[in-house]
Amino acid sequence: MSTELSAENLERGTRNPTRMELPAPTAWPIVLGFGFTLLFAGLLTNVSVSVLGLVLSLAGCVGWFREVLPEEHEEVVDIEPEEASIATERQRVERIHVDEAIVRAWLPLETYPISAGVKGGWAGSVAMAVLACIYGLLKTGSIWYPINLLAAGIYTQSLNLEPAQLNAFHAGPFLAALVLHGLVSTLVGLLYGAMLPMFPRRPILLGGLIAPVLWSGLLYSILGLLNPVLGSHINWFWFMASQIGFGVVAGLVVVRQARVPTRENLPFAVRAGIEAPGMMRRKESGEKRP
Amino acid sequence: MSAITTPIAQTPGTWSLPYRSKVGMACLIIAESAIFTIFVVAYLYYAGKSMTGPTPREVLETPIFYTICLLSSSLTIHFASRLLERGSRGAFLGFWFLTILLGGLFLFGTGREWHRLIYGHGLTISTNLFGTTYYSLVGLHAFHVTVGLILLSAVFLFGLAGRVGREQSARVEVLSMYWHFVDGVWIVVFTVVYILGR
Amino acid sequence: MSSDAMTIRAAGAAGRPWVEAVQDWITTVDHKRLGILYILYALLFLLIGGLEAIVIRIQLMRPHNDFVSPQVFNRMFTMHGTTMIFFVIMPVMFGFANYLVPLMIGARDMAFPRLNAFSFWLTAFGGLLLYFSFLGGSGLYGAGNAPDVGWWAYAPLTSRAFSPGHSADYWTIAVLVSGFGSIGTATNIIATILSMRCPGMTLSRMPLMAWMTLVMSGLVLISISPLSAAQIMLLVDRYLGGHFFDTQAGGSATLWMHFFWIFGHPEVYILVIPAFAFASEIIPVFSRKPIFGYPVMVAATVSIGFISMSVWAHHMFTIGMSAASNTFFVLTTMAIAVPTGIKIFNWLGTMWGGKIQFKTPMLFSIAFLFQFLIAGLTGVMLGTAPFNWQLSGSYFVVAHFHYVIVGAILFCIFGAIYYWYPKITGRMLNERLGKLHFWLFVVGFHLTFDPMHIPGVLGMPRRIYTYEPGRGWDSWNVIVSVGAFIQGIATLLFLANLVLSYFKGRKAGSDPWDAWTLEWSVSSPPPVYNFAVIPAVRSRRPLWDQKHPEDPDSRYE
Repeated sequence: MSTELSAENLERGTRNPTRMELPAPTAWPIVLGFGFTLLFAGLLTNVSVSVLGLVLSLAGCVGWFREVLPEEHEEVVDIEPEEASIATERQRVERIHVDEAIVRAWLPLETYPISAGVKGGWAGSVAMAVLACIYGLLKTGSIWYPINLLAAGIYTQSLNLEPAQLNAFHAGPFLAALVLHGLVSTLVGLLYGAMLPMFPRRPILLGGLIAPVLWSGLLYSILGLLNPVLGSHINWFWFMASQIGFGVVAGLVVVRQARVPTRENLPFAVRAGIEAPGMMRRKESGEKRP
Repeated sequence: MSAITTPIAQTPGTWSLPYRSKVGMACLIIAESAIFTIFVVAYLYYAGKSMTGPTPREVLETPIFYTICLLSSSLTIHFASRLLERGSRGAFLGFWFLTILLGGLFLFGTGREWHRLIYGHGLTISTNLFGTTYYSLVGLHAFHVTVGLILLSAVFLFGLAGRVGREQSARVEVLSMYWHFVDGVWIVVFTVVYILGR
Repeated sequence: MSSDAMTIRAAGAAGRPWVEAVQDWITTVDHKRLGILYILYALLFLLIGGLEAIVIRIQLMRPHNDFVSPQVFNRMFTMHGTTMIFFVIMPVMFGFANYLVPLMIGARDMAFPRLNAFSFWLTAFGGLLLYFSFLGGSGLYGAGNAPDVGWWAYAPLTSRAFSPGHSADYWTIAVLVSGFGSIGTATNIIATILSMRCPGMTLSRMPLMAWMTLVMSGLVLISISPLSAAQIMLLVDRYLGGHFFDTQAGGSATLWMHFFWIFGHPEVYILVIPAFAFASEIIPVFSRKPIFGYPVMVAATVSIGFISMSVWAHHMFTIGMSAASNTFFVLTTMAIAVPTGIKIFNWLGTMWGGKIQFKTPMLFSIAFLFQFLIAGLTGVMLGTAPFNWQLSGSYFVVAHFHYVIVGAILFCIFGAIYYWYPKITGRMLNERLGKLHFWLFVVGFHLTFDPMHIPGVLGMPRRIYTYEPGRGWDSWNVIVSVGAFIQGIATLLFLANLVLSYFKGRKAGSDPWDAWTLEWSVSSPPPVYNFAVIPAVRSRRPLWDQKHPEDPDSRYE
């Protein structure tokens, strides 16, 4: 339903009206309000107050009703001719220029496929295992030593091994260490695959050196809780070396994989699998962003 | 005086806004729904938690007939306001009266049930939690029906006096919104009290 | 009623019998006059509620004080809370909405002018009824006078056994009556905004004030009504012997808590969203920039409205809910910080790069930004269930919500009064007194509510009548009380400024701030009919378009 506004504008848009009709002042709302309040106030004081409130409310209702029906009471008000000019002393308008160089961070346009992360993780895990076993050979002459230590993190039986037994092969701890090592390596590899494109500069430095150093620091502080056996036997130099070995190899393998374009910047319809011509916005020449 | 007299950009007549009384009634209905929601939640929360009898299973009887009365009154008031819009005042008054009659019947049904519960089973508002929640919820609804009936009757009387014509049809429509709401609430109350609450 | 008795300017003119002037105001249905009545009424109650706060602070200033009796102390904090929430902040918000929304959207009046008057008088009589309890409460029954059950009136306390006489009923009925008034006004505001906009004023061009008032009114509809429903239940319990909240008969005190806070938390947003609205109008004008992120502001407001309906039980972590409920309410509480944070960033974005003018309204708005941020941070702290278990019911909570209500809401109200006073009265508020008021109030505020956190952490419970010396609370309480006095003095200064400037203030003209919304296009004070010709708008800043015809906003929207 359209209001009177449009009609009024049509009618009076050009000429200036001199009189205006407004709702007339009326006392019935306050009478009804007072009566209504007294109706309740009677609960607090005396029933006679409620009776008075009821009478006032009824009077207010009837009075209000007669005020609006059948015709709303209105009063005519003269329009005072007065000129309120709308102007400003601040005529000059400045615009804040945003430097072209300041741009929002965007998701990477290209990233590595998931398989790249898995491959990197596995390659890194081999490098790490080799380094750890070299450490075992140098320290105790046995490659099983680091494997038993690692297994102690999840395999309770390893906790009971005597120091001498740590150098021998045990099937249970070996399987446990294999699963743990494979799983963690795969997951970390996946993380690498996802993270490296977001750090476009020096991915090997970041993934190969800085990240292993960071999590070695983290492990240094909490290893006593995670794996007390490993914590008591650990050689931090070799530990760091094998971590960095993992990082460098995993990083190198990931970086060598072919990149695929990300889908986050595509229109929703394309991502939803709808194929139709004209859905992709054509890139302007020289535009770096999708 | 305002100096903003820029000619309207759009073509004239396209600026349309909702009818204010309808918006107002919709707001009132929203507020009332919130009130009823709280009472319904209290009813459900306390269902089966009374420490003494009587329980709903023992004393409540499903008021099918009166429910049909109230719900069909929604239909009659709809026809009535449609007829008024078309300008047939006689038929409007007929259907309007039917609506009042059906609403009155429903109220009579509630009264009869309360009479039976109070004098037949000794269930009052202070007997137990069931009494408290039942009388409050159903009573709140009955209060709304009563208010609706008073308003409907007022319109009917004015209609008999020949004061309700086609130009009032928007107002009558607003009133019928309220009546539809009261009916809708009864569906909820009925479900809660007579189906879930037992 | 003669028609010449209607023009506003004639109301204060000399030579007319004052009875006629009073009659004009009592029978008025003009949205501007009702808005002024709302605001004046709220300022009166601000004084009363402030006085009650001062009594509380004197009592707590030193240990083992007996400035008032414990009974009076209970009445003081109950009445202080009830007054400030229901009879100060809500009316002042409704007053500004009443006065400004029709002007801002280019309408001549509210949708239902008579309902508007009715709603105001209900609120007004509700407040009078509440304070009548001091006189009438004990007169007939000799038991207690003013309500003393706390502003949330928890269940067993309000039963007949613990609240004999009618003191609790005064609270219930006064708030119930004024609640009906609030629902009426909210209905009116929504209908006005949806149905009375001038041509071209689409929803996406409305001033943010109108948007936020719309959301606030929607919240009033769905959250005041649950309180009304719960109060009706309480009346059934007290008058008809019902058992809703009667634990002896299987009723539940917890259910009252739920019902109260289903109202109580959205209520916080009912109060703070208009404060956001004031800030959203003031900050752009004094930064000389359009608001940053208009659509996001609207979206954030609407989502605050929705989320606020689902956070209530974070007031009730200590009653022992299930782990799942605790988690749910912690998460929703955290979630509401997101749209709120968006708003803060948008205000900052508006100020960024702008030519900021440090006029009094802007000062209050800037202080609001900082203080609201801190209030939000302590809110996030308290929204974490384990932290809440430690500090619930302590002065830390009191400090937190006063930071919201005073530091954010009251500061915005002050800012709004400084900003729109010229429009309402035609005269500017004294800028020097205004700056003095601001700085005094900021100092008083921080002196009161910053240190108040500490006795809370040290274990001082809220609503405590007095305390033992040597618990580490003594000096903090002295500082808090001193701060309260400074706030009191600043408020008196503000009231003096209001009165003085009304008679002696500089003439404002129609547009003293060089602003952009429609209310500044009419003379100050506006004529009864608001707009001789209903305006048509083409952008969010219609006055900018008028002032800069060569570069209008409509070109960019």
